[in-house]
Amino acid sequence: MKPRTERSRELLTKLMATPVRRKYFETLRRMLGPSGLVSIREEQFFLVLAIAIGLLAGFCVVLFRVAIAAARVWLLGSALHPSTTRLLLVPAVTGLVIAFFAVRYFPRVRGSGVNQTKGALYIYDGYIGPGTSVAKFVLSALAIGSGQSLGPEDPALQIGAGLASAVGRWLKLSKERLRLMAPVGAAAGVAAAFNAPITAVLFVIEEVIGRWSAGILGAVVLSAISSVVVERWFLGDEPLFRVPQYRLDHPGELLAYAVLGVTGGAASVVFVKIIKNLRPWLRRQPQWSQYLQPGIAGLLIGFIAIWYPQVMGAGYEWVDLAMHNRFPWEVLGILAGLKLVSTALSFATGTPGGLFAPVLFMGAMLGGFVATVEQQLFPAIAVPVGAYALVGMGALFAGILRAPMTSVFMILETSGNYSIILPVMICNSISYVISRAFQEVPLFDLLSRQDGLDLPSLEEEPERALLRVEDAMHPTLGRALLGDEAIGSARGIVASTQEANFLVSLGEGRWSVLGREALLNPEHNETELVRSLIRARVPRLYQDQSLEVALRFMKDRPMLPVVHRANLDLLMGVVSVEDVLRAYRKAGVAEPETAEVS
Amino acid sequence: MCAMERAGTGVGMNEETALCTICRQPVGASGRCEHCDEEAHIWTIQDWRPLLTLSLIIVLGFSFTRLVVSSFNEMQRGLAAKYYGEGNSAMDESHPARAVTAYESALVYSHNNFQYRLKLTDALIASGASSEARAQLRDFREQHPEDAQVNLKLARLEAHDRNVEEALHYYQQAIDGVWPDHSDPLPQKIDARLEAAEYLVTLGRKDEAEGVLVAVAAELPAASAEQPRLAELLLRNGDAERALSIYQMQLSQRKNDPAALLGAARATLAAGSYASARRYLEGIKPENSEAARLRTELDRVEALDPFARSTTEKIRTERTMAAFRIALERLAACGAPFAQSMTSAAKTGATGDPAQWSGFAKWAEQLAPMMTERKLRGRDEVIENAMRFALRAEIAAQSNCGKLTLNDEALLLLARQRMGAGQ
Repeated sequence: MKPRTERSRELLTKLMATPVRRKYFETLRRMLGPSGLVSIREEQFFLVLAIAIGLLAGFCVVLFRVAIAAARVWLLGSALHPSTTRLLLVPAVTGLVIAFFAVRYFPRVRGSGVNQTKGALYIYDGYIGPGTSVAKFVLSALAIGSGQSLGPEDPALQIGAGLASAVGRWLKLSKERLRLMAPVGAAAGVAAAFNAPITAVLFVIEEVIGRWSAGILGAVVLSAISSVVVERWFLGDEPLFRVPQYRLDHPGELLAYAVLGVTGGAASVVFVKIIKNLRPWLRRQPQWSQYLQPGIAGLLIGFIAIWYPQVMGAGYEWVDLAMHNRFPWEVLGILAGLKLVSTALSFATGTPGGLFAPVLFMGAMLGGFVATVEQQLFPAIAVPVGAYALVGMGALFAGILRAPMTSVFMILETSGNYSIILPVMICNSISYVISRAFQEVPLFDLLSRQDGLDLPSLEEEPERALLRVEDAMHPTLGRALLGDEAIGSARGIVASTQEANFLVSLGEGRWSVLGREALLNPEHNETELVRSLIRARVPRLYQDQSLEVALRFMKDRPMLPVVHRANLDLLMGVVSVEDVLRAYRKAGVAEPETAEVS
Repeated sequence: MCAMERAGTGVGMNEETALCTICRQPVGASGRCEHCDEEAHIWTIQDWRPLLTLSLIIVLGFSFTRLVVSSFNEMQRGLAAKYYGEGNSAMDESHPARAVTAYESALVYSHNNFQYRLKLTDALIASGASSEARAQLRDFREQHPEDAQVNLKLARLEAHDRNVEEALHYYQQAIDGVWPDHSDPLPQKIDARLEAAEYLVTLGRKDEAEGVLVAVAAELPAASAEQPRLAELLLRNGDAERALSIYQMQLSQRKNDPAALLGAARATLAAGSYASARRYLEGIKPENSEAARLRTELDRVEALDPFARSTTEKIRTERTMAAFRIALERLAACGAPFAQSMTSAAKTGATGDPAQWSGFAKWAEQLAPMMTERKLRGRDEVIENAMRFALRAEIAAQSNCGKLTLNDEALLLLARQRMGAGQ
């Protein structure tokens, strides 16, 4: 047997046997080789990579969804209503198995995966271990398939992020780019799992990145779209639920929707409070009990499922039925309450799985419940149950996950009906405001703080006063020197002040700084131009830029020019390090948080 | 492997599109940023092998996913078919609740299968969950407003729940709708028309029913198996003449067809041609129970009809008195004595309009003294009035006063002959 290199060489020789082939190969080699003519820049490469990540994440999520469905059939049976024995045994035993692996070997797979991804972005330089991703895939599929009250979207987010991280490390991307790979993969994961690219992009921005960042938006959008293309290719473009037609007939109906907003807000607060108290309490229990907790949660959920099997798993099929008026009001109310309890049990015990789907389930049932009760109390008002269920999903999403933009666009994207935007916005706003009033910290931030992490939050970001260059700059005492004026003329200006440094306008928006000593140096002829003394240019600033940006450019420069955006040679003022620090002191901020540069 | 390499300051950069990595402003020809004067960094990919490997991984990923999804879909199709079959069996065995569960399970594996969903609505209706079925059907209708099957099911549902106008609206939509599963929709359309006509006949909306039946008669092929059904409906709607012509057409094709003979006998009986009816009945074997029953009915009607041809005056007065007596007994079956019972019935609300019953009471009081052979003889207007009373009383008591006797049935038949089916 010949060695592989020798066989490759022989193959290559055969392939290049004719002069024409040799010519083509040579051209290709020159184009693609180490000193190739074809090269793409980093941003372009990153976008191409985002598409590739999207495709790969799409495959993973399709397989993940298949795995969940297969696990469900395998563990609980194919019938819609599993037998009582299975209901009691399967979630409990599977919970014990999951706990063994999650507690002992893969602690980072516990929970939803959103915070872990956010942590990877902000703490671990974009690193998510391959073992974590694989374990998340398997254990989440088992958990959801066995009936734990959790959903596939958040795990898909972490799986996508883990995949992107692995590809980034394999390509040896820079730390900066590697860090950005996590949200790119996360968006692809959520988009494929929820079949909604806009929702995925907004969710990742609101919950993972935690700030609006134009730099990464293109890559996130591309990855989300490509993963949805894959998902639709394999699983079809059917929506998760069939949304009934809706039309707002009278503005007065909005008042009826407001009731749903209030109810949704209250339910959100209850759910978050339960998680807030139950999760740390369970974690304080002895280590051995951690191995039992998911199993016990599974047993309790199985017990509930004997009467209400709808609480198991993601439950989208039941959401669909609720939207089509298939449940009476009392069942809708009971299902909303039981799902809240089941999800809290599954999630607080650290069972791997997401909150996205259970929150939507609770919202749909609550919406349907409010609609059917209103129907009975006010028969004159048109109360379409399907529309209420849909709006209820948005209200709970806004209240529990506190992602207001995502909650609105999610409903629009899944319903494809813009008539519903008014009820959605009203309900979501009310629910969001109530949730904020009674629960200051959003759920995901709460979870990360319980885990000892302090991660940036989009909700808290705007509340911090942003200091701008205009808050620190001071006006120039005289005019700036010109690059084209004689040194002799400039010396007259220098002599008239005590300033140590002088700005020099070089025209076309270019600026520099010269010291008093350089200008007064007798070695330079008075007829020479000031330009001849320039060694380096300085960056210009605008009044509306943040002080963090000004500090980045400041380095050891004594001052920087602040110019008008419409006239780059028009000096509005100057700013120095002392000016910046004075502005921070005045605003009551000791120093800028360097990690939070916007 | 180095997929990306940090090039020197601005070396090889594209001046037109290069942006500063710090402030995102355009980078000038010097390789320095125009804005912040930072050195511009550019990354170039100079080794395509990783990208080719990535492409290969994507191709492999696609193939693997396709393989897995194909077998998964196969499994889902199998499960859906299994549960659909179970649902159908349950429906055949009249276990609609079991069928609902089976169809719902089938839908888990074939989420948007329209046929499965329609079957589920059938099962829901059969199991008494008509509001759920209605919600589903209305939802389908929103998605497929033209679908005749959906409209027909909605019509049946509304008819079942006595929402007459809605039912008629959906029947019309079904007649005008699209039958997606059938290449030739005519038989389905005719069937929908006949069903709508039957509903109208049941409601007693004679003119509307006649319109639909005439339309069916125009488009129904002569050899169609639906011809007897059409004739039956025409007969029930009081159009004995058209019904008879259909039966006669059938008899011209199959001379001794017992069903056609029976139909023709009924039609002629309804038209008051007792002799013709008897002739048709003679062609049917005596052991035919339906024919025997019709014979008895024919005898009764003939025995009660004072207006029958070649009837003597004595017989006419006797028949009138008999009819009056039978009608009074029928009214008495609603409560005795009937005038008082009408009042109590009105109180309970069980037998409809109290004014109608008191009207009958007054009418009977007026007629009673006249019901002697002597007073009736030669007074056709009194005979006419007494028969009108008897027939109207039978019609009014038809659905509210218990089981009909043979005499009551005979009088009702007479009523239909003389007053039409709408009465």
